[in-house]
Amino acid sequence: MRSGWLIREARLRAGLTQTELAERTGRDRAVIARWEHEAAAPSMETLVDIVRACGFDLPLVLVPYDTGRDERLESNLNRSPERRLEQLLATLSSSGRKRG
Amino acid sequence: MAEEEFDPLGIFAELNRQKVTYLLIGALARVIQGADELTHGVDITLPLGEENLRRLELALEGLNARPRDHRRLGMQERLERGDEVIPFQTDKGELKLVPVPAGTQGYDDLRRRMSREYLGHGVRVAVPSIDDLSRMVGAMGRDQDIERLLAMRRLAELERSIGHGLEL
Repeated sequence: MRSGWLIREARLRAGLTQTELAERTGRDRAVIARWEHEAAAPSMETLVDIVRACGFDLPLVLVPYDTGRDERLESNLNRSPERRLEQLLATLSSSGRKRG
Repeated sequence: MAEEEFDPLGIFAELNRQKVTYLLIGALARVIQGADELTHGVDITLPLGEENLRRLELALEGLNARPRDHRRLGMQERLERGDEVIPFQTDKGELKLVPVPAGTQGYDDLRRRMSREYLGHGVRVAVPSIDDLSRMVGAMGRDQDIERLLAMRRLAELERSIGHGLEL
């Protein structure tokens, strides 16, 4: 998880522009832009403040890291979108759902 | 039974044939972008202008779409009521219209970062970016979406790390 994505996601979900978020947080718009583009990273405390300024909270919890999931996702990324759809339909078909 | 059919390419082909402007969203969009999920329905969002809705009505007719929730209101009435999801059963599977997907400002919010993906049989479909699909999952706020959200964020990291994020 990258802080830039979180800031951008929170801002977009709040329907704010970078300028509006900068005004809410008393920071320069260029700073917000650098964070979002990951040219720089805020501290964890600042990140929580930014997310709160968008109307969200950022609960941090630890969850098990699923390496098997990474392997499946990497495998999917090595397929074309067409093959990904074919794979889904084949799985559905083998589980009993009819295909058109 | 026709109720069990799932032919997403058939649904897209009809939408494309009627020149409906739309974006595939939801689980199938996540699968197209590389997620490891199972789904048997098509969710779309679209611009809500009069002409596009007229084209959509034609496509729904071509797909023999029936309201899945058995409501008899017309599309415009349902949009004006602010229905969050308008579900249909078609001869080619389930099709849900989502006027304003969770966590977004609607079609225009998503289209800037979309990509057009080839899915076979001459069908191309517009799909939101992985980041935007993550945003939608995150905004649902449901316990069952946490795994999906983690997977989408990891997918974005992997995509960037292996260079799939570049425009080809």
